[in-house]
Amino acid sequence: MAALLEMRGISKSYGSVQANAGIDLTVTAGSIVGLLGENGSGKSTLMKILFGMVRPDQGAIVFNDAELPLGSPREALRAGIGMIHQHFTLVNAMTVADNVMLALGDSRFWLDREGVAARIMRLSQSYGLGLDPDSVIENLPLGMRQRVEIVKALMREAHLLVLDEPTSILSPPEIEGLIGVMRRLKADGRAIIFITHKLGEVLSVCDEVVVLRDGKVSGQTPVAGATREGLAHMMVGRTLAEAPQRAARPPGPERLVAHGISASDAFGLRRLQDASFSLRGGEILALAGIDGNGQAELCDTLAGLTSAFIGTVTLDGKDMTAWPSNARLEAGLAYIPADRGGTSLVQGMSIADNLALRDVARAPFSRYGWLDPAGARKLVDARTKEFGVRMAASDAAISTLSGGNQQKVVLAREIGREPGVLIAFQPTWGLDPGATRFVIDTILALRDRGGAILYISSELDEVLAIGDRVGVIAQGRIVGITNRADVDVVRLGLLMAGSAQDHGPDHSSGAAAA
Amino acid sequence: MTVAAIVSQRAAWRDTLAWRVVLSVVWSLVVTGILILMAGKNPFVAYQHIVLGAFGSWPRVVVGLNKAAPYMLAGVGVALCFRGNVANMGAEGQIAMGGLAASVAALIGANALGAAVLPAALIAGVLGGAAWAAIAAAINLARGVHEVLVTLMMNFIAWLIVAEFLHGPMGEIDAGFPQTPMFENVAWLPKLVARTDLHIGIVIAILAAVVAHVVLWRTVTGFRWRLAGASDKAAHYAGVSRARSVFGLMLVSGVLSGMAGAIEVLGVHYRLIEGFSLGFGFNAIAIALLATLKPLWVIPAALFFAFLETGALSMQRQIGIPSSLVLVIQGLSLIFVLCAIGRGARRI
Repeated sequence: MAALLEMRGISKSYGSVQANAGIDLTVTAGSIVGLLGENGSGKSTLMKILFGMVRPDQGAIVFNDAELPLGSPREALRAGIGMIHQHFTLVNAMTVADNVMLALGDSRFWLDREGVAARIMRLSQSYGLGLDPDSVIENLPLGMRQRVEIVKALMREAHLLVLDEPTSILSPPEIEGLIGVMRRLKADGRAIIFITHKLGEVLSVCDEVVVLRDGKVSGQTPVAGATREGLAHMMVGRTLAEAPQRAARPPGPERLVAHGISASDAFGLRRLQDASFSLRGGEILALAGIDGNGQAELCDTLAGLTSAFIGTVTLDGKDMTAWPSNARLEAGLAYIPADRGGTSLVQGMSIADNLALRDVARAPFSRYGWLDPAGARKLVDARTKEFGVRMAASDAAISTLSGGNQQKVVLAREIGREPGVLIAFQPTWGLDPGATRFVIDTILALRDRGGAILYISSELDEVLAIGDRVGVIAQGRIVGITNRADVDVVRLGLLMAGSAQDHGPDHSSGAAAA
Repeated sequence: MTVAAIVSQRAAWRDTLAWRVVLSVVWSLVVTGILILMAGKNPFVAYQHIVLGAFGSWPRVVVGLNKAAPYMLAGVGVALCFRGNVANMGAEGQIAMGGLAASVAALIGANALGAAVLPAALIAGVLGGAAWAAIAAAINLARGVHEVLVTLMMNFIAWLIVAEFLHGPMGEIDAGFPQTPMFENVAWLPKLVARTDLHIGIVIAILAAVVAHVVLWRTVTGFRWRLAGASDKAAHYAGVSRARSVFGLMLVSGVLSGMAGAIEVLGVHYRLIEGFSLGFGFNAIAIALLATLKPLWVIPAALFFAFLETGALSMQRQIGIPSSLVLVIQGLSLIFVLCAIGRGARRI
């Protein structure tokens, strides 16, 4: 079959960093190409070049047998390239049809709402999208919003769709649905470039895989015959051990107990409903859940960062419901928030200051209210070395570090304190496989030293890999907590999607206590 | 040193914030010069008269230094607040209330306290400014009214209260102008140099800037203020309460601005006069921004504003160019600095 897209010898450097070094990429019509690579491997630069958002230093793009003018998103759109970003560009207060009309940019004075709605219905039926043109975006689940983005691209006659990590925000059933849509698009002769970290999805839907590393194509293979291990090896240039090492360990004493917690968000909306669990030393309770199902409120309540809750929280038998965050921290409760960019780190401050962030009032960071730069420096040097933070100097701004190294600074602060209890909320979010592995190994090591850990993630795979007990948080309720050995993956997936009955709070801890 | 080394050294200096601020001031002078030219006057002659008016004689320098002191004090307070992400527009009112409180203490306490009247008046000024700032902070924290609105509106209330006192109970009888009687000698701020008008205010102000610098960079409190300014969410996560940092910073600004008002009445006028510090608080905001919110840089920035004003008054008398020209220079230099910082921020 003829090539729909040919990118030839694409090179782009930013200063001394070579983001793309002579990349060739060919996509034929009616095929799905998986684009794999760690963060910083050059995937996003390559896609920005394809879409005209970045002009390459060298190279050419041929699309539909015509040379594509470089550096012009307008030309890329006109040629029929559609990009579906991770973050949607939809107006939440408007309907599906309104959003599509905005994207079409029709310049006539009178709107053709009925015509557009009819076309959306036709596309929706032929690809099985299940969209209603009149529904308002904010009432739609994330999976449906993503389909609105796909419809926008299709209405602009896109022959090639680029999906940038489309599954990261979806529940397992929604992912199945998206994969079905992708297959129907492919059957219709359209081509798809599928960017993802998840090797399983690549193997199930793609025809071919292209792996980038350090700005070069490090591997290219038809999916038939490829294995997870082979792909992972191409991505990181080394083989990752399949599963994290863990030793069976008798559970220690009960450390953190939450009972009947209901909490509201900043807008007064009830997000968490009667959540209860208990956590013992030396165990990891891992909760899977799609973003926005009450995880943030649960974490903030436990860490003492909100007062908009009812229920009780005890730490080592002491009722700490009324304690402020500082008292909880001193009692041995560490917290890694999900938002690395703005909450757990301050981008404008130095690495050393970020390590001092929550401990500045204590030695060795300060004495009697005066900062102690010499004492702080010793600790900062020791911690950054222990956690392998790669940096030029500890007084450099934290923003000069890569995402993985930034998260290592957070780990150095929260775990370096050797806490009794750790709340880890999406600690691997946006990290490449190598850094993800480091975070998980570090947390497992804390468990082996007797720490009690509540691990919350939207990645079911990760939760299954790390948890001693595994459960789901969905629609503000904690459901289906089971011991590692008795996990039913299908049931967890259904619970994540909120489609199963509530089984009441935390059965397994009751069993463990009995 | 090789040529390359000199060039690279110069390039490094060109990237510094200090160089951008200096450049901004130079550009504001250039643009103002063009305006003077358009008005048919020689800008070089005008600037020569500003320099002569500011530094031409010892008494001229003294006027400038005395003027710089309250600017510096209030400017340091504003700089700290802005760093802590508290948009405090209220220095103007805090200065006025500081001046009023100091005057009340100086007038009432003159007989009862003897020599202790001066420290009493200074303390009263500090407390007056701090109380005024505390009210604004309390309204902001308790009712969620934005601090810009509260502090700005309270400036006008402060001025009206001062006027009320001067037109009423404290006014000098038959003065023909709203002012209090002159304070007793014991309540006057001591002179720094005998037989001149130079009072010790400038020393207090420089000391305040140095202390503010040390607190900001060397103490846990300063770290928390910087953290509160850098990120609301991170500060909350680190257990730094917004209420405490807002209240603390507003109190510091009130103390420094109240002190500014006190030294102005006790050191320059020896009485409270209506409008004695009109515009000081707004100048303090401009000075804090020109100093890029660094307490130590407030010292030169305040001196620049003060000498520009004394020089311009003399220029107006000598060659008839209106002294309001300095407002143009001050405004332009501020705009240039804000633009230069904006560009620098994007570069990082």
